[in-house]
Amino acid sequence: MIKHWWKILSVVIILYTFIAGLLMPLKPGITSISPARAKAGETISMKVAGYNTHFTQAGKEVKAWLTLDSDAKKKMALSAGKIQAISDQELIIDFTLPPALPVKAKVKDCSLLLDNPIDGSSILPSAIFISQDKLVGDTAGWGDLPKKSLHQATGMKFPFRNILSETIRNLFYHVPLWFGMMLIFLVAMIYSVLYLRSSDPLHDNKATSLVVSGTLFGLLGLVTGAIWAKNTWGQYWSWDIKQNMSAIAMLIYLAYFVLRQSFEDRERKARISAVYNIFAFAALIPLLFVIPRLTDSLHPGNGGNPGFGGEDLDNTMRLVFYPAIIGWTLFGFWLAELYYRIANLRDQQEESEYIFDKGIQKI
Amino acid sequence: MGQTFSMKNKIIFLLLMVFHFVPIYAQNAEPDFMRSVGKIYVVVATIASIFIGIVILLFLLERRISKLEKQLNNHE
Repeated sequence: MIKHWWKILSVVIILYTFIAGLLMPLKPGITSISPARAKAGETISMKVAGYNTHFTQAGKEVKAWLTLDSDAKKKMALSAGKIQAISDQELIIDFTLPPALPVKAKVKDCSLLLDNPIDGSSILPSAIFISQDKLVGDTAGWGDLPKKSLHQATGMKFPFRNILSETIRNLFYHVPLWFGMMLIFLVAMIYSVLYLRSSDPLHDNKATSLVVSGTLFGLLGLVTGAIWAKNTWGQYWSWDIKQNMSAIAMLIYLAYFVLRQSFEDRERKARISAVYNIFAFAALIPLLFVIPRLTDSLHPGNGGNPGFGGEDLDNTMRLVFYPAIIGWTLFGFWLAELYYRIANLRDQQEESEYIFDKGIQKI
Repeated sequence: MGQTFSMKNKIIFLLLMVFHFVPIYAQNAEPDFMRSVGKIYVVVATIASIFIGIVILLFLLERRISKLEKQLNNHE
């Protein structure tokens, strides 16, 4: 039992990520509004759909603004008229739009900012497009953003992101597979180097079994990513640079098994596949970490901006995300260990068969 | 080349018109199952696919063990 403590640890951590990752609620947010466009000078009554919000409970404390960027630095806001809460998730807000926009543009996108003491403040970017006929740029009716009076959501909650909504939890199930795969392939590469130095078949077996579990993680990463992409980006496969490059990386590692199958001699098989494994890992780094950053990608943290963070990964999510990486990596090592033990048994079996055959020849 | 359409053509035309509008109608309808309840079923599908992947690996592992057992039994 004590020998296997890390396996128990991996299961405990993964269970924790399932429980904490699925039960922690999301922060309140705005899912949709209608209408999506209006003309300056009109009076509109806007229907707002919220998520995890408490509009009726907050009652008259609900406040709303339409905000826009009047120039690169300054934000202007238009406060709402009558606000009527139909249910906890539905609002009807009346806005009396001033006859002119504060910017000299025909059309300008405005964000909807909601605030109440229970839910804190939430924003829907580019919620409504307001058009005007004259390009005057009059600030009458528009005020400053009421930054100081806004509330903060309290309690442990995951951030609400539009389009993502609940699928933000996939960060704990899709991304750790890739992190785990990288660590497993790294250790496999180290064992391949050790094999080339020592010619110890045990090192070869370790490298091969680690490649098995690493490849499983990579393939699962592709599948889970495709499911996530279908419901957020719109397609299973968007030919996104990171999707393509990780698919190529997986093909390189699948070829490792084909390569091993094509040699009869145990030592030749081990030596050539060890060299291949080192080169496969060397190819993995640019494929996953360099090329996706050189161009635009749908994945966060790409297109020149290294690493994800900020609003995509806040401290609440880190509490689940980092343990998930450790848990899945240890689990991958467990799977690899099972394959390793069987590979050793098979080697012993083949060796005894070889001695047995030799014995028969002598007789 | 008559000006009138046959009954068959009319029906085909009608069906084409109907199905042409189905996607537009679907956009206004409620979101599909995967996107309902804040897309939580996407997370469920993700976890389920990880589970299936591990089961496939276990299946391959079992085949290897059976093969080894067979070899051992043949020798005794």
